[in-house]
Amino acid sequence: MDLIVRAGAREEKVKIRRDGDAGYEVTLGGRTYHVGVATARHGLHSLRSLLIEGAQHEVAVRHQGEGVYRVSTSQGSELVEVSDPLTALATQSRTGKGGRRQQTVKAYMPGRVVTLLAAEGEEVTAGQGVLVLEAMKMENEIRAEHGGTITKVHVQPGQAVDNGTPLFELE
Amino acid sequence: MTDTIPRRRIRKVLIANRGEIAVRILRGLREMGIRSAVIYSEPDRLGLPVLLADEAYPIGPAPSRESYLRGEAIVQLAKEIGADAIHPGYGFLSERAGFARLCRDAGVIFIGPSPEAIDAMGSKVESRRLMIAAGVPVVPGGQDPLPDLDSAHAAALAIGYPVMLKAAAGGGGKGMRMIPSEAELASSYRAARSEAAASFGDDSVYLEKFIVDPRHVEIQVMGDLHGRVVSLGERECSLQRRHQKVVEEAPSPVITPEIRRRMGEAAVKAASAVGYSNAGTCEFLFDRTGSFYFLEMNTRLQVEHPVTELVTGIDLVRTQVRVAEGEPLGSEFDDVHPRGHAIEVRLYAEDPFQRFAPSPGKIEILRWPDGPGVRVDSGVYEGSEISIHYDPMVAKLIVWAADREKALDRLERALAELRVEGIRTTAPLFRALLADPDFRSGNLDIGMLDRKLAAGDLKPPAEAELADLPLIAAALAHHERAHLTAAGPAEGAPARRSRWAGTARFEARRNASWT
Repeated sequence: MDLIVRAGAREEKVKIRRDGDAGYEVTLGGRTYHVGVATARHGLHSLRSLLIEGAQHEVAVRHQGEGVYRVSTSQGSELVEVSDPLTALATQSRTGKGGRRQQTVKAYMPGRVVTLLAAEGEEVTAGQGVLVLEAMKMENEIRAEHGGTITKVHVQPGQAVDNGTPLFELE
Repeated sequence: MTDTIPRRRIRKVLIANRGEIAVRILRGLREMGIRSAVIYSEPDRLGLPVLLADEAYPIGPAPSRESYLRGEAIVQLAKEIGADAIHPGYGFLSERAGFARLCRDAGVIFIGPSPEAIDAMGSKVESRRLMIAAGVPVVPGGQDPLPDLDSAHAAALAIGYPVMLKAAAGGGGKGMRMIPSEAELASSYRAARSEAAASFGDDSVYLEKFIVDPRHVEIQVMGDLHGRVVSLGERECSLQRRHQKVVEEAPSPVITPEIRRRMGEAAVKAASAVGYSNAGTCEFLFDRTGSFYFLEMNTRLQVEHPVTELVTGIDLVRTQVRVAEGEPLGSEFDDVHPRGHAIEVRLYAEDPFQRFAPSPGKIEILRWPDGPGVRVDSGVYEGSEISIHYDPMVAKLIVWAADREKALDRLERALAELRVEGIRTTAPLFRALLADPDFRSGNLDIGMLDRKLAAGDLKPPAEAELADLPLIAAALAHHERAHLTAAGPAEGAPARRSRWAGTARFEARRNASWT
């Protein structure tokens, strides 16, 4: 199975092949790893032990949404997007914009919307603030992860939101 | 003089707090065979204190002033449920003299100092005056306004440079000027006065000694109801982020037995000056020359009390209860010396990579560190919701070892075992600090952490871990998901519960029937 994996600025093609009963052969960026996987805790948040060439790595993986995973290692955590090339191609032809998909940005903690910094239909650049969320008596600016257009804003100033409430659509 | 302090056995205590400190207190109570009752706000119904307590009572909705700060309701509850005493913990009502008075008037023991002692130490001006009278060293200088340059000259000379000019009406750092030497006094004096006039409408200024890069060193004291106050040694709390303590240790890397003795005597003098009883802490600024200056006294049990417990072997909560019952401090308090080294780090639900933004939410995965010399004081468990309503500190991780170097290594090991998913915590900050040469060598001051954070000097140690690891893990998770939906359970997915889990449940049931 061939996959495309994105993390931050990195994008790699990944080939996964079954390798024995509890393992895989993973080829990524020209490097091949023999990986044994076992899951210590199942669920939306899973805790896995990866054995790669004898070295043990404990990794927590959270399935965030279609093809999006938050991976925590001893070095910290990051979002990794996984897609198979066919889906990626289809998305590309649908949006016609270099593979940029529509993204629903959700509240990552319960809080209250203080202000909107961008309006529906507005073009934003990567890192630009879109709205301000207040939680635990602190204001946090929610920013656009990539450049695009705010196609829809789901919330209004003053509105209380829960963890996971959709805030806006970025395309 | 005959001792007329009545002894009164405490059989039930109402804990007027929440989170880790409520848990800490009820652990102490249980070990003493004392019944514990807790109060809880609506979101805290399933908090760890409620699950561990003997009794639990609702106290109101989430906001503190409608729940944990309802002093009268709490005292009333204590009377209704027949609690002999109230333990206030820290924060909330712990340093409110009015609450201690309510308890006294209701005939409920307040496990802490008298309302008079809380009042005396609660006022900066009053406590400074009392400390000077008692011979406790305070930061030299005075609140007396300096009407002209000559008086400023004289005052600065008496205190010794560097000095700090402060606006009498100022606060929060506004209108403050550091003057390194006499040459700069005249111009700074004029500038400070006009700045004070412009900012506060009052141009009076006063002088204080400027302490260069001080450390925060505090002395734990304990007093009984018979007038005896003892020092239990110091804690070094110089690592602070925006005046919030982050790491505490005992003993301090720079305190010699001689300085410890002198600071201990000063702290005992300070506490005795206000007739102090129960647990309290005198905070001092400690400078590079070995001089120390009283800042203030915290009239309660401190967050960082476990490091003192680990190096002295004294259970502070137990002692608090015993002295509140009227018991005198025993011979084990005669000559307390630290043994080994203890370090505490405070785990906050904050994201150190996002400017310490709060990170409330559900703790999805939780594994505490364990093993030799590790203590975890926490108020949460796997599945707990971290609410936006209260202090974001979720736990304290405390280690003990024979010396500081070994304690640092142990802390590093413990942090590697810690696993928290679902919320972000400040754990990566501590891993970064452990790689910092200044922290490692004990070269600390109260501004150090903020300086290093601002300069971007703290980075988690880049372990020789595979850079491809997150990508591999995500790709495999995605692959397995695809297979799970397409072809039933893949490798590792449990077809049914394991035998071990079944056995454990069986054991739990069997144990339950024994009690």
